[in-house]
Amino acid sequence: MDVIGASFHNRFVSDSKGKEPDVLFVGDSLVQLLHEFEVWRKLFSPLHALNFGVSGDATQHVLWRLINGELDYISPKVVVLWVGTNNHGHTPEQICGGIMAIINVIHQKLPHAHTLVLGLLPRGKNPNPLRERNASVNALVQAEVVSLSHVSFLDVDPGFIHSDGSILHQDMYDYLHLTQQAYQRVCQPLYERIKSLLDKQAP
Amino acid sequence: MCALSMNSIFLLTVELLNFHSLQSDLVNHCCSFPLRQHVRSLVVLCLCCRLRMSAEENPAAEPAPVIDVQGDGRWMSQHNRFVQECKDAEPDVLFVGDSMVQLMQQYEVWRELFSPLHALNFGVGGDTTCNVLWRLQNGELDNIRPRVVVLWVGTNNHEHTADQVAGGILAIVQLLLSRLPKCKIIVLGLLPRGEFPNPLREKNAAVNNLLRTSLPQLGPVQLIDVGGGFVHSDGTISSRDMFDFLHLTASAYRTISTSLHELLLQLLEETPQERRASLV
Repeated sequence: MDVIGASFHNRFVSDSKGKEPDVLFVGDSLVQLLHEFEVWRKLFSPLHALNFGVSGDATQHVLWRLINGELDYISPKVVVLWVGTNNHGHTPEQICGGIMAIINVIHQKLPHAHTLVLGLLPRGKNPNPLRERNASVNALVQAEVVSLSHVSFLDVDPGFIHSDGSILHQDMYDYLHLTQQAYQRVCQPLYERIKSLLDKQAP
Repeated sequence: MCALSMNSIFLLTVELLNFHSLQSDLVNHCCSFPLRQHVRSLVVLCLCCRLRMSAEENPAAEPAPVIDVQGDGRWMSQHNRFVQECKDAEPDVLFVGDSMVQLMQQYEVWRELFSPLHALNFGVGGDTTCNVLWRLQNGELDNIRPRVVVLWVGTNNHEHTADQVAGGILAIVQLLLSRLPKCKIIVLGLLPRGEFPNPLREKNAAVNNLLRTSLPQLGPVQLIDVGGGFVHSDGTISSRDMFDFLHLTASAYRTISTSLHELLLQLLEETPQERRASLV
């Protein structure tokens, strides 16, 4: 892990010692950047959410972080997992395997938590192999978790791909990362799902 | 002279100058006035050249696109979009650079302070000086006449030394001045990065120091260092300012934008507008 990664990891571990989050977001830049926009303050802060997103992380990085302390001092009721789009060179099966490994670690460390896995978004301005790869990952993960009571899958793509196959820069300014307006569209249904999971878990 | 590298010329000139200062009486008698002037000009030229360094000598001044290894062609898509924007827009201000520029447009501060100045944002995450140079040479300066260009790039030049990075930035500035003769240029200094003191902080500071004196020698160009205040007395940078110890939060962008915005207003007032019709 490089120097920057270590900084995050250490901060996340020490952060988690003082706080009692009900919701934990973990993943890559799509999670990390979410924290920087108004939508986080409006929708997720009130749910007592912590954000452990690290830009560039692939499944193996998230797995390492969760095994090495980031889940040790907290008991969130819901863990939102959003990772996989940075797994370059891996097959959809491998990426799905990575996501399942993370789900298993979460379940081991937090037996009472529910993991909400978010589908990978399409990317790139026009149709390309990574869109196909991400869609395959989603299909595989969805099939794997359907029989697990402590996991559910949520497709958060509100329809970013237009009829001509393109993604607009008004939604993804670099055809990967979300603009504020795109985050609004993604987060509303996500918020609803988290809320209903929290309500189910309430004593 | 052409056979000698710029560094050799520089060293030769320094030798000459040393000789000159030690033996000034002798030189005054022996060297004609034109020769002394020539030596002086040569020194200035070499100081600039040493930093400017041609593409053959400085890899950071070599234009290069980003090759798509991931598979979704995002870099070229962004470049093509900017080239299209040049056909449609008439910006007064052009921001160009890496993610430090690109991310600025995602926060409210862009809409409040910079959109009203008719600013275009040609930032691309991950870009080095080589990538920015390539983009500007391949369409991103076509058909536009911004009065001010804000350049912010260099922190991603991981393969290059501070000297080389500064040379790359100078090469971009030279290109801008040659394509936009009436333009004023603001170069933003590279920010410190990383949670704790580390070699990249030193490198970025070295780049800024090299640019501070060499930039104004090129024309109406200035270095603005907006990095002061990010490093605390214990040497750390807070995640409240840089959420990943590299990229700025909304509040940090707001802090640096105030003075930048004021400077832009000032420069725009000083520089006359060129309407597209007059470019024919």
